[in-house]
Amino acid sequence: MTGERSDRRRLLLRGGRGALRLALAGAIVGAARGRWGGPPAPRPREAAATGILRPPGALAEPEFLAACLRCTSCADACETDCIRFFAPHEGRVAGTPYILAAERACNLCLRCTQVCPSGALAPLEDIAAVRMGTAVVDERLCVSHDGTGACGACHTICPLKNRALTQGLRNKPTVHAEECVGCGMCEEACIVDDRRAIRVVTGRVWT
Amino acid sequence: MRPPHALTLSRRTVQVLVLLLTVLTPVLARHANYLSAQHLDKAIEQLGSSPQGLSLRATDALLRAVTGVERPAAELRTADRDALLAAARGARGSVWSFELFGITITDPLAALESAAASRTGRWVLLSGVLLPLLLTAMLGRVFCAWICPAGFLLDLTGRLRGLLRFLELKPGRVRLWSGDKFLLLALGVAASLVAGLPLLGYVYPPALVGREVHNGLTAMFDRAEDGMLGFSAAGLTIASWFLLAVALAEIAFGRRLWCRALCPGGALYSLLGRYRLLRIRRTPARCDDCGDCVAACEMGLSPMTDRFGMECDGCGACITSCPTDALAYRLGAREARRTGEVGS
Repeated sequence: MTGERSDRRRLLLRGGRGALRLALAGAIVGAARGRWGGPPAPRPREAAATGILRPPGALAEPEFLAACLRCTSCADACETDCIRFFAPHEGRVAGTPYILAAERACNLCLRCTQVCPSGALAPLEDIAAVRMGTAVVDERLCVSHDGTGACGACHTICPLKNRALTQGLRNKPTVHAEECVGCGMCEEACIVDDRRAIRVVTGRVWT
Repeated sequence: MRPPHALTLSRRTVQVLVLLLTVLTPVLARHANYLSAQHLDKAIEQLGSSPQGLSLRATDALLRAVTGVERPAAELRTADRDALLAAARGARGSVWSFELFGITITDPLAALESAAASRTGRWVLLSGVLLPLLLTAMLGRVFCAWICPAGFLLDLTGRLRGLLRFLELKPGRVRLWSGDKFLLLALGVAASLVAGLPLLGYVYPPALVGREVHNGLTAMFDRAEDGMLGFSAAGLTIASWFLLAVALAEIAFGRRLWCRALCPGGALYSLLGRYRLLRIRRTPARCDDCGDCVAACEMGLSPMTDRFGMECDGCGACITSCPTDALAYRLGAREARRTGEVGS
């Protein structure tokens, strides 16, 4: 009697172990397929065309890449949640902060510059001292410039309006590069979809 | 089953708190943004009982408990909102570089790498590393056993070695030279200096845990704003696979294999804690040579023969496992002479 029971017990245990081993192998294969068999993540095209938009106060690109700890403190401090991070497979910029102004722009709260522990974002108090990039109007796409209508969205949202951005006839925007801080609020507000008619150009090479 | 030792209990409590803070920080950041936009009550209502909504409810309860604000969200006064906001903005970053109510604590490895890559002093970082440097110099590698969130997670996944044994797959025992980590640290710092990029942060598990938690949670909240509620791995990156690989290797080949032999941060802490003042010491007269401490040691050390060395992270597993109370924390800058002497 006891011999028979222990036999059955051993058989059950062996079956259970086999099933668990199969499940483990299946889970590993499935996870690998899900990760490397899926479609590649889309890369933000706009940013690739105009250069990386860094948070305010960022040092020049080589110094910034060296100093930044990749600690996510700037994003935790950010008021608009506009700060994103490059994924680890993105090469030398991996883990560093950037902004996609067309999706969500910086409102120049400058909190990130004050919390950065490494000084990769130099502390700033005055929004006019920020130099993130320069907004450039694409006159072929802008509805005020090409005669489709009179918009004025970029001028309305600009935190330095009438200094960095002025309006002409039919709300035609003109950027004054020496005053523009490159926050990207105009790019986010622009009513032209897909490719915005006003974009922040930074000159920070995207590699 | 014996009740857990007070030492184990306090260590686990600290580890759980650190992990909880790591997870709470991105949620608190999002909470602060909704609060400052006067959108919090609406966001909580819209997110309902999804994980995002529940976590916002939790942070709301936490912040109200901390600040003592009791008015409902719709009737908040400016002073109430300012108090809640100040509390919500009290925590930032992860263990790689953390700020808690104005005090910044930076991992010495982060500061070392940043300074090496910048080829300057980066003196701004100094105020943040003072406290960890001081603590490590006095107490040794305690970060690894008491604070490191990756170490805690690896402790938990390490429990699966029991499952391996149940499957009659014998857990392996790979022995790596414990000097490998110093080699990795030196190579990493040299490479950072040459490349002008901090490189060790990409293979340092606690930094990766902090970044993955941040990216995963912010992606979940971003998706929730677009109407996609529920859990999502969209924000997780290849770093998660690296962490998983480390966890699987530790399950298959030996406890704390990474920490013991490869972790560059552990190497730095080992060096800094070389002349620590607090160490675990054995009283040979009480030791009955049972070997329980050797089996309990996660770092693969041998307390029974006084072999602690630089890897000891002060976790206290040997102390709690000792049936005769022969092991205890003692003051002393130098290691006991390895007598290997056995009590009578």
